[in-house]
Amino acid sequence: MSDSSYRLVRGLLLAFLGLWLLLTLFPFYWQIITALKDAAETNRTIPTFWPEVWHPENFKLVFAERSNLQALIDSFVIATGNTLASLVLGTLAGYAFARFPRQAGGENLAFWILSNRMFPPVAVLVPMFFLFDATPWGTDSHLSLIILYLVFNMPLATWLMMVFFRDAPRELEEAAYLDGYTPIKAFFKVTLPLVLPGMISVAMLCWIFAWNEYLFANLFVGTAVKTFTIVIPTFTHGSQTLWNLQMAFSLIAMLPPLVLFIVLRRYMVRGLSLGVVKG
Amino acid sequence: MGELRVEGLCKGWDFPVLDRLDFTVAEGEFFVVVGPSGIGKTTLLRLIAGLERPDAGRVLVGGRDITGLPPYRRNVAMTFESYALYPHLSVFENIASPLRARKIARAEIGAAVRQAAAMLRIDELLERRPGEISGGQKQRTALARTLVARPEVYLLDEPISHLDARIRHELRQQFHGLEELRRVATLYVTHDYAEALSLADRIGVMGAGGLVQVGAARDIFERPASLFVAQHLGQPSINVVEAELHQTGGDGAVHWAATGAAGAAGGKGLTLPVADAHRAALSNLGTATVMLGIRPQFVSVLGNAESAAARTGDGSCTDVAARDGRGTAGGGLPVIDATVELYEPLGATGVLIADAGGVPLTATTDPDRTFHYGERVKLRLRPETVLYFDARSGANLVD
Repeated sequence: MSDSSYRLVRGLLLAFLGLWLLLTLFPFYWQIITALKDAAETNRTIPTFWPEVWHPENFKLVFAERSNLQALIDSFVIATGNTLASLVLGTLAGYAFARFPRQAGGENLAFWILSNRMFPPVAVLVPMFFLFDATPWGTDSHLSLIILYLVFNMPLATWLMMVFFRDAPRELEEAAYLDGYTPIKAFFKVTLPLVLPGMISVAMLCWIFAWNEYLFANLFVGTAVKTFTIVIPTFTHGSQTLWNLQMAFSLIAMLPPLVLFIVLRRYMVRGLSLGVVKG
Repeated sequence: MGELRVEGLCKGWDFPVLDRLDFTVAEGEFFVVVGPSGIGKTTLLRLIAGLERPDAGRVLVGGRDITGLPPYRRNVAMTFESYALYPHLSVFENIASPLRARKIARAEIGAAVRQAAAMLRIDELLERRPGEISGGQKQRTALARTLVARPEVYLLDEPISHLDARIRHELRQQFHGLEELRRVATLYVTHDYAEALSLADRIGVMGAGGLVQVGAARDIFERPASLFVAQHLGQPSINVVEAELHQTGGDGAVHWAATGAAGAAGGKGLTLPVADAHRAALSNLGTATVMLGIRPQFVSVLGNAESAAARTGDGSCTDVAARDGRGTAGGGLPVIDATVELYEPLGATGVLIADAGGVPLTATTDPDRTFHYGERVKLRLRPETVLYFDARSGANLVD
C-alpha cells in the first residue's frame, strides 16, 4: 500500500472513531448539562447546548425529599445482598460443576441453570408477583428483590465460576491434599485465591445488574422499600417533568457503579489472565 | 518409617492400566520405575498417594494398610510432573505449606524452610513467586516442599525430565546427595532410562499392565528379561534384527541369518555364529525365528589399519558358516562389511547407522572420526553380547 492511501485509510478510520465517540458520549453530555439547567430552560422548544444559567444546587435539591436518599440506600442494600448471595451460591455450584461434573448432574444441569437466564423476564413477571406475595415478607421488601434477582444473577455467577474453577489446575488442590490439607482447607488455601479475581468480576456484574434493575422493582416494591430506579420517573411537578432533577439524581446514581469499577478494575484484568499457572 | 509395599494393585478405566502389581521398596531404598509415556507410571504414584482409588489391591507403608486413607492422612509426599506450585504464594510459603497444614510453630517453620532451601540452593528466591523463577528453580522448590514434610514415603513424578540437560545433570547429582531420601522409601518414576541408571538402587521397568522386570541397573541393562526392556533402556536404542537360527555341521554349532538380508541386493546375507555361551540355550530350538538385540556399544567400527588386516573374503558380509563355523577375522571376532547411511557426531560419541547387507545397524564410534554417506566400513560384532528374544513373546531366550 502506498504511503498516501495508507494515510487516507487511517484518516477515515479516525473520522469514524470520532463520530462513534460523539454518538456514544452525547447522551452523557446532555445528561450533565440538563442536570445543571433550571426547569424552564429544559423545556424550551429550541434546546440550548450550554446552560445559560448554571444551577449546581440541583444536586442538593434532589435530596430535599428524604426518601430519595433512602431509595439509594435501599438499592444498595438489595444490590449488595443479592451479590453476596449470588457469589456464595454460584461459587459452590460452579465448583461442583467444574470438579464433580458427573455427581453434580453434569452438563445438562449446568446448562439448565444457564438457560434460566435466557427466557424473557416479562413472561414470568405476574406469576412471580403472586409467588412472592405469598411469602411472609411479601413483595414490598428488600428480601423479595434479593431473592428474585438470584434468578438472573445466580446462573451467571454459577456459569462463570465454573469456567474459572475449570481453569484452576486440579493438581494444585491435590498437592495441597498431599501437604496435609483436607479438601475444604485446600479449597480455601489454594483454589479460592486463584479464582478470586474472577469472583470479583462476577461480583461486579451481579451488583450492577441488581443496582440497575427496573422492571421487577417497579412492580414489586414502592411503599415500604423503594429503589432509585423507580424513584427517577417520579420527579414531576404537576404534569411537567423535572428533567433537571431527574438527570441530577441519575448522575448521582451512576457514581457507585463507576467508583466500584475504577477500584476493582485491576482485579478484573487479572481475572482475564487467569489460567496462566504453569508458566 | 518403613518399607512401601504394593500388593495386587489393579486400576483401569476403559482398559486396564495396572494389573495385579506387586513390589516392595525397602526403607532407605531409591526405587526407580522407568517406562514409556502413558504406560501408567503416574497412575501408580497417584494410587499410592491416595489421589485415585485402586480397583483392587493394597498399599502398605511400614506394614500399615493405608489403602482406605485419604491423601491428607497418609503422610506421603509427592512431586508433580507439572511441579504444582501455588502461583499466588511466595516460594517460602510454597515450601512451608506442609508445615502450615500441621500447625507447626512459626519459628520452627522458618528454620525448616530455610534449611531445605539452602540445601537446594534456592535460599535467594524465597520472596519470589513461582511465576518469577526458572524451571529448574521451580523443580527445586517443589522438591523442597516435599522434603520439609519429612514423610514416610517419597513419590517423585518425572521430577527432572522437563529441564534442560545441564540443569538435569546438576539436579541428578543433588538427588545423590540428599540424605533425607536415604531415610525412607523413595519411589521415582521417569521415562528417561539414563536417570534411572544414574539414580536407582533398583529399577523396575514398566510395560503394559505393570512391571516387566525389576532388578539392579546393571542387571537390567545386560540381561533384559524381554525385548521391550532391552528396547527401552539404552541410547542409542538397541539394534533389533529378525533372524533365523540354523544348526551347522555335527559339532552342534549354531549360527543365525538375518531375515530379509539374504534376499537383498546381490543375494548377500548377514550371517553370524552364535557364541559358545549361548549355544546350549539355543540349540534345542532347531530352526527358529528369533529377534536379536545388538547394543550399538558392542558394534565397533574398525579403523583403517584394522580393516586392512581383517580378511573378510570376497562377499560383502563374512559368511562365517561357509568357512569354518567361526568368525575369526580381525582378532578372532566376526567382521561385516557395511555402507554408511547416516553419521551423527554428538560430541562425546558418534552414532553411525550403516547398512549391513540390507540390515540397518547402529554403532557408537569414537567422537573424533568422521564418516560420509555411502562410505564402506567394516563393523565388528561380539557374539557373546548379542541378546536373543523369542520372536512372538519377546522373552529373553538365553537368560
